[in-house]
Amino acid sequence: MDSIVIHNLRKSYGKGRLPAVDLAGEYRIGKGEMFGIIGPDGAGKTTLFRMLATLVSPESGKAEIEGLDIVKDYRKIRTILGYMPDRFSLYPDLSVKENLEFFASVFGQSIDRNSSLIENIYCRLRPFENRMAGKLSGGMKQKLALCCSLIHSPSVLFLDEPTTGVDPSSRRELWENLAHLKANGMTIVVSTAYMDEADRCDRVAMMKEGKFLAVDSPRAIVSKFDRKLISVRSDEMFRLLNDLRSMDVVEKCYTFGDSHHMVLKPDARTDAGGIASVLEQDFGHRNVSVSEISATLEDCYMNLEDK
Amino acid sequence: MSSSSLGYLLLKETRQFVRNPFMPVVLILLPVLLMLLVPLAANMEVRDVRISIVDRDRSGMSMELIDRISRSGYFVFSSYEDTYRSAMDQLGKGNADIVLEIPRGMEKAVVRGEEVEIYIAANAVNSTKGSIGGGYLSSIVSDFSAGLRGEDGAVPLKIVPQYRYNPHLEYKLFMVPALMIVVIILIGGFFPALSIVTEKENGTIEQINVSPVRKRDFILSKVIFYGILGIFAFTVSILIAHFVYGLASNGGLLEIYVSAMIFLVFMSGFGLMISNYSDTLLQSVFLMLFFVLIFMLMSGIFTPVSSMETWSQYVSAILPTRYFVDILRSVCLKGSHFSDLTFDFIMLSVFAVVINVAAVITYRKQN
Repeated sequence: MDSIVIHNLRKSYGKGRLPAVDLAGEYRIGKGEMFGIIGPDGAGKTTLFRMLATLVSPESGKAEIEGLDIVKDYRKIRTILGYMPDRFSLYPDLSVKENLEFFASVFGQSIDRNSSLIENIYCRLRPFENRMAGKLSGGMKQKLALCCSLIHSPSVLFLDEPTTGVDPSSRRELWENLAHLKANGMTIVVSTAYMDEADRCDRVAMMKEGKFLAVDSPRAIVSKFDRKLISVRSDEMFRLLNDLRSMDVVEKCYTFGDSHHMVLKPDARTDAGGIASVLEQDFGHRNVSVSEISATLEDCYMNLEDK
Repeated sequence: MSSSSLGYLLLKETRQFVRNPFMPVVLILLPVLLMLLVPLAANMEVRDVRISIVDRDRSGMSMELIDRISRSGYFVFSSYEDTYRSAMDQLGKGNADIVLEIPRGMEKAVVRGEEVEIYIAANAVNSTKGSIGGGYLSSIVSDFSAGLRGEDGAVPLKIVPQYRYNPHLEYKLFMVPALMIVVIILIGGFFPALSIVTEKENGTIEQINVSPVRKRDFILSKVIFYGILGIFAFTVSILIAHFVYGLASNGGLLEIYVSAMIFLVFMSGFGLMISNYSDTLLQSVFLMLFFVLIFMLMSGIFTPVSSMETWSQYVSAILPTRYFVDILRSVCLKGSHFSDLTFDFIMLSVFAVVINVAAVITYRKQN
């Protein structure tokens, strides 16, 4: 059964401006699926979340969550939905415990009833139970926010960039918690800017300018990458980038960790060796290392606009 | 569901309010300081007008006139000068507020039955002191001259002004009701508006919006909580008004309270309206301040409506504060009752209903 069905959903802010979200066609997210959305800032991720979370109404099209229409049945949806916005939005002047109690009573629950779901997250917060939420560290805030959005055992959980500004160990913990929730049958939709996180999702949607450009499992997206991808290093990395970009055969070149990745034009008749000799002889680069590699999710993401 | 959700929303408001190191202090200090300090500082009563006297007659009659002036209690003698010019010097230097010149040969002329001119020059830089002091002085002089004619046998016609309801022309009695209004404006209007906009800024309003809590309950929790605070602050200020300034000592508490409630409802509706149109605290404070200044300056809180320009008198008719001021002054000073103030109460209620309806409608439109 599908947990979320999106059908031609569209929303724009103000006339004459490009729609923030413009999803043509139908997208389905299954029950218990972990669905990732990646895309640059301004791609419309947050607007999409806010529409699905019944905070803004769509301009046209429709969407259903657990069979409930996001416009007509918004009050019912709010009882089965957990939403963690992209910025910390709990009461900074209430303590950790008071925040949790408040959101529990908002949903007509008591803390104990749902403790199994949040226990392994909350146990880390318990030493700070009486601290004001505004005084917590970034990772702790995130844990508290997750607890508060899980307090009513939602069947669908929306997380808008949950790991932005969170240290690596807290990031890992969060994803372990999400895996645990998913194992309990919760549908999770998460947006992220980190490709290693997107790799953990069952399926990933690459979003740009309000549209889903590709929706598939990370592995399938990577395997569909059909261009020749080459990794290049030399002693002068900065000059190298400009030189590579000036070459005719190169369609796109970008930094990738400690090397440069470049995509060759489809009709380019050269290979790693050819590039290396051009760099050494024509441009005078030294210690050049060039190798053909297979694409990662990030390479696919970087080449989004070309498709 | 509705009543129980109001319960925990109110609990949350209380916790946040008590936790705040600033707000509870403001709630108590604001009415106390406003009510105790401002009437003392903003006293427009004219007392201790400094007078410089040029007595060129030096007769028994001139002595008697000067004695009359000193006994009135409004004047302090700053200097006796020999010439009009040196007295004007004192005025120019700011040592005197008023100069009185008694011409040479006044007594003789009066005995002969001739007209005598006495000069009064007042420094009008402090216009109230100058004009009211000058008024006092000329009334003392004309009073005196009437007494002189009376000695001739003819009974002089004397005008006796009687200032009704505020017999001593005390500015405090005019000021204190106005300050009670300021207390309600600040606490009943600013507090809920700022609290809602803070939730907008923190993003907490989103968390409430994705939950099953109804917006109606959320808004209601703000209105109720800050309404109670407003009543508290108003009660503090009315206690001060009563026990310190002796206001409403002839009853009228019920009228005052009912009108304050209606006005409080208006102000909170107004605060909500402001919060609907502002996304940041800064915006809301400036918007609020703009309207509050108009409310305070154009509705007769500090200056009487009747002395305003005609066009601004029309403007004041659409300001709810004007009707509230009317009610408070009439009750406090004249001891009026509901039956005397029907029009004001109706107008105040109309404003309260209209603004709250508008606030609810514009709130809906925002989402």
